[in-house]
Amino acid sequence: MKHLIYILAVVLLVTSCKSKNEVEYSTDPVDNVEALWQIIDTKYCYVEQKGIDWNAIHDTYIAKAKTIGSDPLALFDLCAQMLDTLHDGHVNLYSSFDRSYNTAWYDSYPANFDAELQKLYLKDYRIAGGLYYCTIKNDSIGYIYYSSFSNAFSGANLYWIFTAFKNCRGIIIDVRNNGGGDLTNAYKLASPFFKENKIVGYWHHKDGPGHNDFSELEPLYSDTSLIAHKWYRPVIVLSNRRSYSATNFFINMMRYAGNHVAIVGGTSGGGGGMPMSYEMPCGWTVRFSSVRMYDADKKDIEQGIEPHVKVTMTSTTQDDIIEKAVDLINNAYK
Amino acid sequence: MRLKLTAILLLLVIMPLRAYEPVEHENILKVKYGFVSQLDPYLSPLSYNGQQIGIGNEWWQSFRKDSAHWAHVGRFDINGLRSYNTAYSNMIYGLGIYAGWGAYYKWSFLDGRLAVHLGPYLEANFMAREIGSNVNKPYSFDFGIDVMAMTGISWSFYGKKTSYRLRYLLRTNLIGVDYMPDYWESYYEITESVRGDARCSGPWNHNIIRHEITLDFQFPHSTWRLGAEHIFLNYRTKEMQFDQHQINIIVGCLWKYKIRPNAKL
Repeated sequence: MKHLIYILAVVLLVTSCKSKNEVEYSTDPVDNVEALWQIIDTKYCYVEQKGIDWNAIHDTYIAKAKTIGSDPLALFDLCAQMLDTLHDGHVNLYSSFDRSYNTAWYDSYPANFDAELQKLYLKDYRIAGGLYYCTIKNDSIGYIYYSSFSNAFSGANLYWIFTAFKNCRGIIIDVRNNGGGDLTNAYKLASPFFKENKIVGYWHHKDGPGHNDFSELEPLYSDTSLIAHKWYRPVIVLSNRRSYSATNFFINMMRYAGNHVAIVGGTSGGGGGMPMSYEMPCGWTVRFSSVRMYDADKKDIEQGIEPHVKVTMTSTTQDDIIEKAVDLINNAYK
Repeated sequence: MRLKLTAILLLLVIMPLRAYEPVEHENILKVKYGFVSQLDPYLSPLSYNGQQIGIGNEWWQSFRKDSAHWAHVGRFDINGLRSYNTAYSNMIYGLGIYAGWGAYYKWSFLDGRLAVHLGPYLEANFMAREIGSNVNKPYSFDFGIDVMAMTGISWSFYGKKTSYRLRYLLRTNLIGVDYMPDYWESYYEITESVRGDARCSGPWNHNIIRHEITLDFQFPHSTWRLGAEHIFLNYRTKEMQFDQHQINIIVGCLWKYKIRPNAKL
């Protein structure tokens, strides 16, 4: 019996040690600001690139945390302010009462999208999965509007769309104001326009706590096998500053599809850092960029992608970017 | 030649027959309910506590009828868990599967009422976890195949109108292979190409301790099992340490029957 007690005592001793990663639950403002600062300091992938003096941010916000008392709303606002200094649309703080977000990445850019003007073109449309589609300009051009890469679609959806567009001279794929979503949908939507698999970018992830601790760059390839149906007639992709994240990567990919593809509109929003989430001691969730993505020339795409043809919308009676896309498709046949 | 072939065939028929003498097979079907506390730093630095429920089956059987010492045991368990962080702001769901087989040598004392056993045990364990309200719904999993040491002590005794068996079992890992997600990799990278650390594991980087105490008794004409178990899992890498404690109440039904064991055993 004595031996049994010894065994149980050893088992309890071995198993009761605290893990090195464990963070104790705490609502203390200083603990939480410190933890949030640490998460960004060790896991955020753009601290160095954005030229932020993150140590100075620490001192400033720890000092503020000591003055705000125990009000969770005040703590949330303080943490949100600290995260706002990153100017990153992929950085959010989530609590049960609020979600912080940053708009600096598109605020000072032209909107280049007007839903009312779009209605002049997107008429009598059909919806295939997450894709809205119709023909415009006397059925000579196919128009697809995709509002979010979170909305799924299938090869069958694209088959019916291409069937509807079989007499069209080209396709306009409008991903303006598309804030991103599932990266696999970006690969799928790009698939029909590639003749062969190509390197379309690179990525690497943080692999240590230092600001420049990254794994080796790994190539990312387009995948022609994802969608069986192909389209090699002219394709124009419309972008604006709010084409972000997975949309940004889709635009990047389409640049490598071939000469039959062009990007028209405004500079995309960026969001080249794939986000991840982690938790603070008070249980709030912080989302942040953790995996850096590059184009096929190993150029960072966090700041957005320049279109082949830059167009800024000025008209109040027509969508200048769609009209430019129509011109480009028609000119391709001259 | 025909005679030789007939003799060989006869031998092949007779030899297994000897080994196929029926032996007692003890099977326990059980349900488990209990508490779980876990830390998965890939998903969150906070510990999560909650409940779990599971079902399992285990069997015990001698290798041969005339073997009083050597026997083997097999187990299969599946359990699901739901746990919360202290702030109740997030949940982790988990689904675990454990299967194992072991052989042991049994020493009996006091006319067989007290028995001690010791032997090796091979276990495969897998648990997938998903964190509930995370914006990108990341999930992680661990997987291990371990050679373990298994020991136990059981005491059979008679009480009022019935008989009892009290048993304590302990299993702990010695060496194996395991897998954990890479602390720094995104869920996309892990799910797209199943990355992470697959490595040789042992007490230096991976601990499993499973121990349980059970009481088998007859009521009214069936044999039942009541028990409690504690499972401790710990995986360590340079960057990350995963911990899990499970404490379960076990209720099972036990029955014995004769079966013919595999001749090769």
